[in-house]
Amino acid sequence: MSEVLIVASYILIPVLVTLFIPLTSWALGRWYQGRLLRALDGKEKQQGSLLMSGNHLSTSSPMTTMSASSSTLLHVSICVGPSWGQMFFMWLKSLFGGRLHSYDTVLDFGRREVLMRLNQQANELGCASIVNIRIETSVISFAKNEKSKQSSVEFLAFATGIRQ
Amino acid sequence: MEPATISLHMSNVETIPGKTITASLGLVTGSTVRSKNVFKDIGAGLKNLVGGELKAYTQLLQEARNEALQRMMMQAHSMGANGIVNIRFATSNVAAGASELFSYGTAVVLE
Repeated sequence: MSEVLIVASYILIPVLVTLFIPLTSWALGRWYQGRLLRALDGKEKQQGSLLMSGNHLSTSSPMTTMSASSSTLLHVSICVGPSWGQMFFMWLKSLFGGRLHSYDTVLDFGRREVLMRLNQQANELGCASIVNIRIETSVISFAKNEKSKQSSVEFLAFATGIRQ
Repeated sequence: MEPATISLHMSNVETIPGKTITASLGLVTGSTVRSKNVFKDIGAGLKNLVGGELKAYTQLLQEARNEALQRMMMQAHSMGANGIVNIRFATSNVAAGASELFSYGTAVVLE
């Protein structure tokens, strides 16, 4: 019986120790990102009328139908990254392929946040409409070595704001 | 070379809404290469423990992009333009640990 325990602990303890950091990071990240998403939900509701309306926010440039007194360039960017834990489980998941749910959440958050901030900037500059919105995604790695676990994604949103 | 005093009409559509373009002066570009700050990077690395927004990087890139825009504006200003249309941005990893932020557009003269 004791031999079984010793053998089991020889296997179990390293496994638990290896999993401890990713699991902690995953749990903390889940909690923190949930909080960020809820805060974003609240902010989006506050300015919901602007975000929902097709007149105010558009990816085309219907200049002919719009009267404008002046315009300005708007640009906002945000850097987001998954947590270590999420990266670890993504690596495990990528052995089998399929949908990487935690990465979905991070990218979705980044894109929504950047649009919300674009909207905020437009409001601050007194713009009634935002046209020709473009969203660009790029991978930013400031890591010196290739094997570094750090990775982050930058979302850049730019558009033209029109004052009426 | 005082960038703060330059004020140009800028947009990323083909025209400046509400204004008329009288002449097109051609392409203007502005770029800047930035590398990370080691101390900020430690903070960002720790921030990866929970994920979400990496504020240090957001700020770094925003500052760099503003600089690229300023350079483009100075170039347009020296050509005698008072507006830039069709502005586009590009970001690329030029080396490990450094990113290039690039902006380009068409310099125009407005009425």
